[in-house]
Amino acid sequence: MIVFKERRRGRGRYGGRKCGRGHKGERQRGNRPRLGFEGGQTPFYLAIPKYGFNEGHSRRRQYQPLSLQRLQYLIDLGRVDPTQPIDLTQLTNARGVTVQPLKRDYGVQLVEEGADIFSAKVNIEVQRASELAIATIEKNGGVVTTSFYDPRSLEILCKPVVFFLRGQPIPKRMLPPEDLVRYYTDARNRGYLADPSKVAEARLELAKKYGYVLPDITKDELFKMLSTRKDPRQIFFGLAPGWIVNMADKKILKPTDERLLKYYSS
Amino acid sequence: MTSRLATAAEPPRHRDPRELGDPPSRALPAPSQPRRPLGATPGMECLPSRGRRRPGYRSPGSTEYSKFLLRAHGCRHPVAHPGGCQPGHPGAGTPLHTRRDNGRGRWDRHHHRGGAVTEDPRARRVRPPEPPREKLLLSPLPRSPVLRACSVPVPSHLSPVQAWVESLRHHDDERRGLTDLHPDVFAVRPRLDILHAVAMWQKNFKRISYAKVKTRAEVRGGGRKPWRQKGSGRARHGSIRSPLWRGGGIAHGPRGPTSYYYMLPMKVRVLGLKVALTVKLMQDDLHVVDSLEIPTADPQYLLDLARYRRWGRSVLIVDVNEMPENIGTAAAGLKTINLIPVLGLNVHSMLKHETLVLTLDTVTFLEKKLLWHDTRYSALYPFSMPYSDFP
Repeated sequence: MIVFKERRRGRGRYGGRKCGRGHKGERQRGNRPRLGFEGGQTPFYLAIPKYGFNEGHSRRRQYQPLSLQRLQYLIDLGRVDPTQPIDLTQLTNARGVTVQPLKRDYGVQLVEEGADIFSAKVNIEVQRASELAIATIEKNGGVVTTSFYDPRSLEILCKPVVFFLRGQPIPKRMLPPEDLVRYYTDARNRGYLADPSKVAEARLELAKKYGYVLPDITKDELFKMLSTRKDPRQIFFGLAPGWIVNMADKKILKPTDERLLKYYSS
Repeated sequence: MTSRLATAAEPPRHRDPRELGDPPSRALPAPSQPRRPLGATPGMECLPSRGRRRPGYRSPGSTEYSKFLLRAHGCRHPVAHPGGCQPGHPGAGTPLHTRRDNGRGRWDRHHHRGGAVTEDPRARRVRPPEPPREKLLLSPLPRSPVLRACSVPVPSHLSPVQAWVESLRHHDDERRGLTDLHPDVFAVRPRLDILHAVAMWQKNFKRISYAKVKTRAEVRGGGRKPWRQKGSGRARHGSIRSPLWRGGGIAHGPRGPTSYYYMLPMKVRVLGLKVALTVKLMQDDLHVVDSLEIPTADPQYLLDLARYRRWGRSVLIVDVNEMPENIGTAAAGLKTINLIPVLGLNVHSMLKHETLVLTLDTVTFLEKKLLWHDTRYSALYPFSMPYSDFP
């Protein structure tokens, strides 16, 4: 038989008697040394030598993960339209991902979670993608592209309405920094600066590696949509750098000066 | 079509079934008794009286014996009898007739030994359906009584609530038709805690209390030690403006303008509006009007109308921005009858006024705006900036 005894109380406010402080000494008198002090022995946090594991962590590029399961979920619920090219703007409008450009986010990366259940034919553009994710999308007849957005372009891409209300011309997208050029010119990562013929070869190689038949997208009815890609200097699909979008009057203003045109088309 | 007619034939559920025994008809039967004036209010003698003496009104307990009025001292004699009603008059104390139940709680049937069943002739029976009578129509009726369906689609597991559509053109012009009301706006759970939260928020978020008192540092003077520490025989003090002293600073008083600003989540405020509308509808304080046109700009007309229709002591009339001039001038001079646009609708005003009067356009607007919040995305940027699906 279980008997619950009533807890002995010292009465009074906050327990009474010793008030949970113990008996004499530094404990009761509130004079304990600082956290990490080991009585004089070199403490653990000083004995271990420094190494730059977390050096510059706040300056590192971060990519918000987007799993294939989440993408399939969004498509199934109708929040993302697979019949149009899927961009970071579409994903943000559907509230599928939340990208914070001010927190060193450089975009979205595709992650393999849900690769076995993914079954949607999409033309998707992300900033990083793992090999298996690329293979899954191409197996279903889709197209993946990885492209680079500098922080200013990324902010404009994620919140276009806020940018248009500023009344500034759309800037041209900057090219990637040195350490990312190699990544985006590699066909295996489906970089946007890579050679298209090498990209086709890489698609075949990936199909052979993972053992699936690569569907021919040229015979697809949505081939035109699947093959639309952005110019390396373009941020939005229908708009070119240098244009100003006037939302109140629903008009687009384009530059006519030669120098401006030369600058924006370079 | 059949189902709509079937629902229209029975009165809306929340109305008092006693008062609406008849299907909607324009003509009232001619009064059998001369109308009595209302109370001592000047200018009200012209109006017919409304109340228990109204023709066609039957109080729930009325039987043929209602003329045997029960008086304060317990006498049940008929109206006129010799000797007057006094405690000592013959027959006082003896009941004329005692009604008994049959021992099983039923008052209408009595089962006797031998199998005889007698029915109490005084028991109230269900009224047999009346034969259709010729109606005197003032104007041609619409095809179905439902004048307006919900603008936003109603989920299949819910059904819309209904309310009568009235008119302000004539004091008697009630029951022009029915309107459907969306259940997710006008039939939500009666969350009184949310009503309280929103009402308290409305009261407090604007408040800035300007109270400020001086501390011992701010009170003029008091820098010098008033007398030496030891030897004077008096208590030791450091300054004459310490909180212990008369004229000294206040130790823990209000410090500077304090703001009580806080915001409840948008969806809580929206739900507060929905709950308030539901509560008004369910307690028979909501009236839907087809438009706000009135025949005169006289404020007395509105007061008499509200009095006649028993709307209560205060009325809040809501319209979507375009208000006819007549009602504008009429309500301008009145304290208890107030006219506001839809964007000014708030929980405090709805609770403060006893009755709420909405137009059909207002109902459409409210349904659209309040229901959008149920299915919207979270805010990417403030809602003051344009969104493609903003209502």
